[in-house]
Amino acid sequence: MNRRAILGGGAAAVAALAAGAAWRFTHLFGYRPTPYDDLLNQIVDRVPAAALGKVARTAKPGFDDPRALASVLRQPGFTLAGRAPRDAAEGRVVEVSGWILPETVAAYAALAARYS
Amino acid sequence: MATFLDARTLPAGTTLSPDLAIIGGGPAGISLALALAQSGFSILLLESGGLHFERKIQDLYDGERTGVAYVPLDGGRLRFLGGSTNHWGGYCRPLDAIDFEKRGWVPHSGWPFGQDALAPYYPRAQSLVEAGPWLYDKAAPVAAAQGAPLPLAEGGLYTSWFQFSKTRGGVLPTYFGHRYENDLKRAAHVTPCLHASVTGIRLSHDARHVDHLDVATLAGNRFTVKPRFVVLACGGMENARLLLVSNDVMTTGIGNANDLVGRFFADNPIPRDVGTLVVFSGQLAPYYGNSMAMDANGPVLRAVFSPRADFARARRVVGSLTTVENPVKLDPLGVAAVEATAEALGVDASNARAWSLGCGMEMLPDPDRRLTLTDERDALGLPRLKLAMSIPDSDFTNYNLTLAELGRQLLAARVGMVRINHHARDQWLAAMDWGNHHLGTTRMSEDPKQGVVDANSQVHGVANLYVAGSSVFPTYGSSNPTLNLLALTLRLGDRLREVMA
Repeated sequence: MNRRAILGGGAAAVAALAAGAAWRFTHLFGYRPTPYDDLLNQIVDRVPAAALGKVARTAKPGFDDPRALASVLRQPGFTLAGRAPRDAAEGRVVEVSGWILPETVAAYAALAARYS
Repeated sequence: MATFLDARTLPAGTTLSPDLAIIGGGPAGISLALALAQSGFSILLLESGGLHFERKIQDLYDGERTGVAYVPLDGGRLRFLGGSTNHWGGYCRPLDAIDFEKRGWVPHSGWPFGQDALAPYYPRAQSLVEAGPWLYDKAAPVAAAQGAPLPLAEGGLYTSWFQFSKTRGGVLPTYFGHRYENDLKRAAHVTPCLHASVTGIRLSHDARHVDHLDVATLAGNRFTVKPRFVVLACGGMENARLLLVSNDVMTTGIGNANDLVGRFFADNPIPRDVGTLVVFSGQLAPYYGNSMAMDANGPVLRAVFSPRADFARARRVVGSLTTVENPVKLDPLGVAAVEATAEALGVDASNARAWSLGCGMEMLPDPDRRLTLTDERDALGLPRLKLAMSIPDSDFTNYNLTLAELGRQLLAARVGMVRINHHARDQWLAAMDWGNHHLGTTRMSEDPKQGVVDANSQVHGVANLYVAGSSVFPTYGSSNPTLNLLALTLRLGDRLREVMA
């Protein structure tokens, strides 16, 4: 194997790692603008939220409709950090692919899934 | 010290006339004999097997099964001295008070008495199973040295505890035949008779009392026992079988005028991997996953999650005991669910770990889940049993309500999460195992149209015939039955002291 091939392979590997890291840590560099950034920006890491949201979209009526979701989540007091910890104590849980989740977590995840 | 009588040595035509004949040398029969040993009554303890497992004796248990896959009828019980304690796991826990209640959402529910009627007998039962001091729902402080229990937010479930039968020397668990063999030999008025299989309970012509018992051995001996009183104590399947085959006077079988004997068969289903538990901190005290001794001579405990009575009433669920089983690896969706949820709750899940959950469930009583006799006969000429086994989807959906509540409480406490793993019937059945707890086939009720025995365990209408064991449980609870059937048997002992005097 000649020197050029080795350098080329190494460069390709570094590029692949960088691309993977960029995808995984997109939130460190910012996300594409969406009509719901006021909501989605409350999620620190959208990657797991979006993965969860793909199945959460069918967990409850309205979860697959961004406008309907946003109208609920934009109500006063519906911040993710403010409401999610209270959901379970107040009986608002939803089952997503078997997982028992705070309803607000599932709702934000469903929204994240639409814009990831 | 006396030796046991071997029925194979008895001459043909022998008639034995004890005050009390106990049919069956399992935990109920042995405990009853020992409880009455000082009463002055002569007691004959008839055990079909010997001191050890014998294939030909065990084969007397074989039978047919239909319906949902179930343990072979000769596989879930043992026919020699000590009975099924020769293979039990030693799990002990008293029935909950709600288990005795008439529950509007549980058809055919309600014992003729409450938990308080058994309370005086639990300490002696606890001593018989050698499970140490009575702790159960108050075990947390004792277990605290091994780590704190998972905090659950206010809600429908609480942390309860199994205690474990433990013989001296710490060997698990108490095998009643081995453990109490010498006590039986020392008991002056108790005559244990091995290899003595009762083949018929013969009533007087008016069917009001037992006249005699036909007894046989596989060696061909046949003899008669003419007792003043009889207690049937040979397990949840065989109790029903002996009543059904004894049909010479009551043509449908003893105690079966209302077609109840053999019906309402139940077990405690113990499906595997019913859920996944995630603990955000990754820290879980070892007594969740395994039974463990608190110290060298202390009780052996295991923590479980149990529904509270008010939750059961509000959500119309039945008993269950959810156990933590083995560590598991989450799939990508599970990882995403944990990360997203922990972030939203503001907790660190970087060390989160997951475990599979198991459970022991209470079944709803069902008259069509039943034992009947077949045309095939065993080596002693008795018709074999057929079990029609079933479990409805409602038992599964009912349990998932409880599991979802556990998940809610863990989230509210911000300590963890739960995944419900089974929804479809085929998922449940693929994961199904059974406790081998044979329950309900001679159920107890004050109303002869609803039960085979009355509140004193006497067969309705037959003055000197009683039934001991979990076959009299009208509803089942989720606790393992041995401790509870022992308490009930000791209560029967007190009753027999009164009526036999």
